[in-house]
Amino acid sequence: MASVSRPLLAGGGYWAVLSRCGGRGAAYSSVPAVSSRGGKQREASTRRTSRTSQFIKSHAPPRTERMAVDQDWSSVYPTAAAFKPASVPLPIRMGYPVKRGVPLPKEGNLELIKIPNFLHLTPPAIKKHCAALKDFCTEWPSALDSDEKCEKHFPIEIETVDYVSAGTSIRNPKARVVTLRVKLSHLNLDDHAKKKLIKLVGERYCKDTDTLTVTTDRCPLRRQNYDYGIHLLTVLYHESWKTEMWESEKTEEDMEEYIWENSCSQKSALDTLLLIKASENVSNVTKEELLSSEVVKSYRNSVVALKNEGETENNMSQYKESVKKLLNIQALP
Amino acid sequence: MAAPVAARALRAVPWSRSCVPAALGARRDLHATPACLKTRAARVRVGKGDKPVTYEKAHAPHYIAHRKGWLSLHTGNLAGEAGAAERTVEDVFLRKFLYGTFPGCLANEVVLKRRANLLVVCLVLVQSLAPSKLYFLIGYAETLLSHFYKCPVRLEVQTVPTKVIYKYL
Repeated sequence: MASVSRPLLAGGGYWAVLSRCGGRGAAYSSVPAVSSRGGKQREASTRRTSRTSQFIKSHAPPRTERMAVDQDWSSVYPTAAAFKPASVPLPIRMGYPVKRGVPLPKEGNLELIKIPNFLHLTPPAIKKHCAALKDFCTEWPSALDSDEKCEKHFPIEIETVDYVSAGTSIRNPKARVVTLRVKLSHLNLDDHAKKKLIKLVGERYCKDTDTLTVTTDRCPLRRQNYDYGIHLLTVLYHESWKTEMWESEKTEEDMEEYIWENSCSQKSALDTLLLIKASENVSNVTKEELLSSEVVKSYRNSVVALKNEGETENNMSQYKESVKKLLNIQALP
Repeated sequence: MAAPVAARALRAVPWSRSCVPAALGARRDLHATPACLKTRAARVRVGKGDKPVTYEKAHAPHYIAHRKGWLSLHTGNLAGEAGAAERTVEDVFLRKFLYGTFPGCLANEVVLKRRANLLVVCLVLVQSLAPSKLYFLIGYAETLLSHFYKCPVRLEVQTVPTKVIYKYL
């Protein structure tokens, strides 16, 4: 590069170097981006149109020398921009100093340009942003002041993610994913419809929070995925209300919870009681009488609790008491 | 120079390492890639003291993040983000393009900043061209690059009278 020889020349040879670089004698307007060494050497720009002007290049002093202390800084840096040493009136130095030296000054300092600066985000500038944005904002509706009210009026929650990155394209394929969340208690479902819906959705239903979560990403656009999600919800709702012919073939393995009526536990309990009654030579007692008796009812409750809720201290002791009452056994010491 | 040529020639010939008695522990592996020269990368060798170097050139690569910043800032290298390779290729092209567009004027490396899809190119130029020529070149570079990359390109130029010398090596 031809510029290697230039720094070795002292100040006197500087003008000769400039002329060698072929600055044509056109009229120079003051260049805003120019940063000269202190600006003391150069006076205010003069307009010359003769050919001799190629030997005299005048540079305007940097803007920092004409800045008032109480100027409007947001007009100097209105948007995010690189560090401009001629526009920032601070004597900043940056860099690792040489031995017994100081960091490099701000003129032509690449390190200051490399780092992102926040000169455009001073508190007065942010206040101006907020004031400008206020016209586009509306108040939060005062009627929705609690989470429960929000849930009551807007039971379906839609979750979408926007991605910001730096590159030639602002598109991100991950942004098309839409998640739909709704609590089944807000939907109008009867017992059969709720059980059928839970069977249809499978893993998407969380029993602890009673929430159905549907995540759609099969369409290329977010709007399409949202429409598909709403369509899925509608179809699930209507299908769960219908009863198909083959649903009558539901067996005991398909049941979600234990039902005591018509189970082998009921059969065995009734058979045992009938045998006991027959051995005591009591007159015919019908099944309905037995079923409606207190002991059988308490036995039924304890068995249902055990099967549905699992084995706990309470459930086991309840079962023990009900069996003792059913079979009329005295308490063992 | 002969070594990579020889290596390339050897690669064409099927080489069997099984003829070497491995039981003796002797291995004759073939290194077919060129040497990395990691200890000589991006370092200006110390000379007689008459070689002026800028801050950028004076610091070796292991000073990045300690005494030097990064010349190109984008999100491609973050976890879970795509496009790192594309940004790097763009960076290489941009540096070559700008080196050619401003012949003899670049005082230091080009700094590239990406903000969403805006590309900000920060240049430090030596005052060797007339300002009118400089403005033309800036406009030319901005227009051409934005048409090429289909994204807004902004050139932020700073001029210095001479290259900023950090030390002499």
